[in-house]
Amino acid sequence: MIDDRDELIERVARSLSPLPPNNSRAKAQILAAVRARRARAPRPWTVVLDWMRQPAFSVASAGLLAAAALAIGFVTRGALATLNEPQAPLASSAGATPANPNVTAIPAANTPAVVRAVPVPITFDSPGAKSVAIVGDFNDWDGTAAPLTRFGTNGPWTATVKVMPGRHLYAFMVDGKLVVDPRAPHARDLDYGTDASVLMVNTP
Amino acid sequence: MKQNIFSARVTACAAVALLAALSGAGAQQGVQSERRITAISDDATRSVVIEQLSLAKESGLPAGAMEPLMAKAMEGVAKKASSKSIRSAMDALQKRLRKANDLLAPSPTAEELSAGADALYVGVPEKTLKQMRQAAPRRSIAVELGVLTELVARSVPAAKASKMVLDLMAHGATGAQLTAMNTAVQSDVAAGLTPEAALDRHGRGIMSLLPPPPAVTGANHR
Amino acid sequence: MNEIDPSVPLRAKRGEEKAFIEIVDFYYPRCLRFARNMLSNDQDAEEAVQDAFVRVHHSFPRFREDARFDPWLFRILANRCRTLLSRGRRHRALIEYGEVPITAAAPEEEYGADWAEEVRVVLDTLPAEQREAFLLRHVEDLSYEDIAALTGVRLSALRMRVKRACDTLRARLTEVEQHDR
Repeated sequence: MIDDRDELIERVARSLSPLPPNNSRAKAQILAAVRARRARAPRPWTVVLDWMRQPAFSVASAGLLAAAALAIGFVTRGALATLNEPQAPLASSAGATPANPNVTAIPAANTPAVVRAVPVPITFDSPGAKSVAIVGDFNDWDGTAAPLTRFGTNGPWTATVKVMPGRHLYAFMVDGKLVVDPRAPHARDLDYGTDASVLMVNTP
Repeated sequence: MKQNIFSARVTACAAVALLAALSGAGAQQGVQSERRITAISDDATRSVVIEQLSLAKESGLPAGAMEPLMAKAMEGVAKKASSKSIRSAMDALQKRLRKANDLLAPSPTAEELSAGADALYVGVPEKTLKQMRQAAPRRSIAVELGVLTELVARSVPAAKASKMVLDLMAHGATGAQLTAMNTAVQSDVAAGLTPEAALDRHGRGIMSLLPPPPAVTGANHR
Repeated sequence: MNEIDPSVPLRAKRGEEKAFIEIVDFYYPRCLRFARNMLSNDQDAEEAVQDAFVRVHHSFPRFREDARFDPWLFRILANRCRTLLSRGRRHRALIEYGEVPITAAAPEEEYGADWAEEVRVVLDTLPAEQREAFLLRHVEDLSYEDIAALTGVRLSALRMRVKRACDTLRARLTEVEQHDR
């Protein structure tokens, strides 16, 4: 039933009806955001692996890790040894000495929060490319570590990469060649005489 | 050829043990590193990488420094740099990492070491790193170091950038606020403002939103 | 009203990414149209649409297999638009943004860009709930029953909102037309 729809309302509706043109970039960003959100959901083993990346830990947190490791049946080097030792008091700001001298524990200056990698959605335009990957200091510049996938047949390339908070240098490997991100700030690399792009990642 | 492959595996295994011992990360990270080192097709480059990593370990560089060193090596490989350039780059980075380790003591994280080394690279004064550590002894300052590096890399005078970041840290500015400030500064510079003026403008803007710093204690920067 | 094949949301609900991409492809223009008309700001509209699709993806486990997808999607989108509105982020200016120009089609050529602008001005002055009801009924072409279900508003109250919106539009735009003569 078309109620209240006289000629003027009809004209109003028609003027508001044009559909915006296709926006592959926006759609690719949606997909990247969905993937980033999925990547953010912690699974037990990623919590353990993230912890393992931290070189500094207190004895108390090592005990927590060992408990978690036992809970998911995952054996970590040094953790069981720590579990068998008497628990020492929490690390002080000056640093703590671990109870087990055989464990290569380093007194922690930055406790108690563990800083985790953040999923970062990546988008790159390259309609003619056959393959695109993102390379940077967060994945040892490895062209196979983070390939991007193309949205549609000619749309932007997207991926989600997990990166620790801070400043990072990166580039795109497009069909085997390194290309800077035209939309990011550039950094001149004096070591190798080339440019890279800069990515700043916040602590969530 | 067989001898080359064998010796490559032996040296790669040595590198695995080296990396696993230092990182404490166990089998997974060691395997990834082995794969990367073994995949370096140029013999000279592969030898240089292993030699530099071993030197770093022997010189007492902490475990956290191995990641940025490895990343620097692999960056060179990705950029098809000569083994000489890679050696030179890794050597220079080692020195900066060692310095960063001293300035950000005790026990900076791998990210802080890397960020500290980058900051020194662009010309941030050594004492600034020390002061930043004093301002935040109990949490990672990798983001703050990154912002400072970016500001100086964009030609904000190092002294001015250091003072602004330290002041903002003393006022409790978060990493997110500092990152946002950096982005705003870059936009203004792209639009024609001088880096100093842009930093002044946006730094003051954030400062105006923050409460005054707490009464002077040992943790505050002077 | 053009609705997506019902099997597509079911496949997306089961985790098929390709199906989700089909949904985004199919609905993005309509969602953006609605969000722009509600928020009068391209940036906010794109944010609302992106948020809505992310929520849709996240909420698929709660999507009932016997339900229609359109009203469910528009409920999420309308909520996102309301949230952005309540944050006071409405801006009047319509600006070109990226690849998506505002002015795009025949009706504006037929009636002139001025008319389209006037419509937007008056639409903007409507209370948000009237604007929403009007757009869902007369632009997005949803039935009153669907709109009542997705907004949670009683049918009679809903009809009243649409009527009031039409009355205001009629009064203000007739004024404009008379002034222009």
